[in-house]
Amino acid sequence: MKKIIIVLLILICTGCSNTKEEINVLNWSSYIPDSVIKSFQKETGIKVNYSTYSSNEELLAKISGAKEGTYDLIFPSDYMVEIMKDRDMLETMDLSKLQNYRNINPNYLNLDYDKGNVYTVPFVAATVLIAVNRDEVTDTITSYNDLLNPKYQNEIVLIDDQRIIIGLALLANGYDMNSVNENELEVAKEWLLKLKPNIKAYDSDSPKNFLITNEASIGVLWNAEAALAKDENPNIETIFPDEGFALSIDNMAIPASAKNKDLVYTFIDYILRPDVMKEIIDAYPYKNVNNMTNNLLGSNYLNNSAANIPDSVIAEGKFVENIGESVKLYDKLWAEIK
Amino acid sequence: MTSKLLRYIFILPVIIYTVFLIALPLIYIFVISFFQSDFYGGMIETFTLENYARIFDSVYIGIFIKSLVIAGITTIICILISYPFVLAVSHKNKRFQTILMMLVMIPFLTNSLIRMYGWTVLLRESGIINQILMSLNIISEPLSLMYNNLGIIIGMVYTLIPFMILPLYSSVSTIDKSLLEAASDLGASKWQKFKNIILPQTFPGLFNGALMVFTPALGYFFIVDVLGGGKIMILGNLIKNQFLTARNWPFGAAIAVSLVLITILVIVIYRKLGGKMDKLGDM
Repeated sequence: MKKIIIVLLILICTGCSNTKEEINVLNWSSYIPDSVIKSFQKETGIKVNYSTYSSNEELLAKISGAKEGTYDLIFPSDYMVEIMKDRDMLETMDLSKLQNYRNINPNYLNLDYDKGNVYTVPFVAATVLIAVNRDEVTDTITSYNDLLNPKYQNEIVLIDDQRIIIGLALLANGYDMNSVNENELEVAKEWLLKLKPNIKAYDSDSPKNFLITNEASIGVLWNAEAALAKDENPNIETIFPDEGFALSIDNMAIPASAKNKDLVYTFIDYILRPDVMKEIIDAYPYKNVNNMTNNLLGSNYLNNSAANIPDSVIAEGKFVENIGESVKLYDKLWAEIK
Repeated sequence: MTSKLLRYIFILPVIIYTVFLIALPLIYIFVISFFQSDFYGGMIETFTLENYARIFDSVYIGIFIKSLVIAGITTIICILISYPFVLAVSHKNKRFQTILMMLVMIPFLTNSLIRMYGWTVLLRESGIINQILMSLNIISEPLSLMYNNLGIIIGMVYTLIPFMILPLYSSVSTIDKSLLEAASDLGASKWQKFKNIILPQTFPGLFNGALMVFTPALGYFFIVDVLGGGKIMILGNLIKNQFLTARNWPFGAAIAVSLVLITILVIVIYRKLGGKMDKLGDM
């Protein structure tokens, strides 16, 4: 009994001594495993208040309404970085404070959305791809148009993301993925209506489950989801369609309203450490952008074509772009095809 | 004096709750529904009716109709299940009644989203229901029980049926049993008893239940997302999208206000039919 009390007292005291040093991290759900946060807290004594969001727009809404110091670190994607920096919502990033910055693959630095990495440091890259369960489907699939085959009735799961899915329909018809031309969007709408009988479900939370449980034999989903499905069923093939595909690079950034800026750099540098990044990629196999981590990653990542996507393929990916007020057109189209 | 003071102290939390968590947010939603969106989640504070005009676009009218149909079907099914259940329960002894009503309430103790995911395990093609039906040779191909309208209706009825059962139960239990006995003695059939005695006396409870099922059914987007496979859009999804994807808060607010207006309209119809407002509170 005495022992228990002592242990409890120690726990409570370590709790109080740490309260001064804490950071508030706002990240995508399923992006950093709990174990990484725990070992960071243990190693540095800095407490991490971790919360999550599921879309860039939700992140924007949370940051816009937040009072100073609510969030110290966020993970916006490429186009959202542009929106946020145009609206002075981001703090400049002092790269000299990040020892592990040099680990990052230069292919993912100095990109258009943040020239010279003034505001952001890349975290991971993700692409949308087609995953096909070869136990069920044997046809050749090279294009989005192959998905229209009536054979696949009620067999396809898509991520529930209007920009990506409408963008895919635009690509299938040979248009720009970010087109705001109303005639082109009309064609995209007709295409999606043609695809509708084949759609089993739209699901962004865990589309991999549809493939794993055999509810769907074809998925259009983020690469890490496909990679995890492939771990369960090696007969899942991943395809990058001829017309192109969406690419997203998620970045670490400090919101202008952050308070604990110095501590945040400690956290960012920790995340950029090769062994830590390995732990993250093992749990959520997005495309790793840390050069030093590559040597540590096991064959389950390196041989998984949905996870370890060659840089040359990534280079062909297309970013979702900020289209301002035209988002209205997409939103209406989305209501029309549902 | 002290009893009066005490009464105010007891009422105070309710007043604070109502003002800060219901009235003020509603007023806020109402006000921003007249603002202009800057399409980045912000608002330009100039008066406009554009958001309301946009609702009348055929696409959005279509979503209103779809939502009303789904909510209407849900309400009707809830009524059809609840009446026999409540009447059966009311014939049992008091202790058994309490136990049965508690069983209706118990699922409420678990988060409804988690219960929806529970349903996916039951309803999916490789799920338990299909497996049982197939092993009994009742069906040869798995049935599509979800990722369609059927799945949405199952989810809605399951989630909302307690809201129908509870008010209906309380109004059924106020019926004077001697009236029913008298009707039997005079040779009334079961249907005559239901039509002439039970239905008129339970109408406020029925309406209250219908309102409490119908209104949320217009907005429960998570049921549509999980059991409907996200393929259908109802008002709840449309509103959620305005706030989280389209970054158009004023339009989302305008749809939300329209939803409140629909509810008010239903209550007005109830009063026109001769319903009394104070009876709605009977629970």
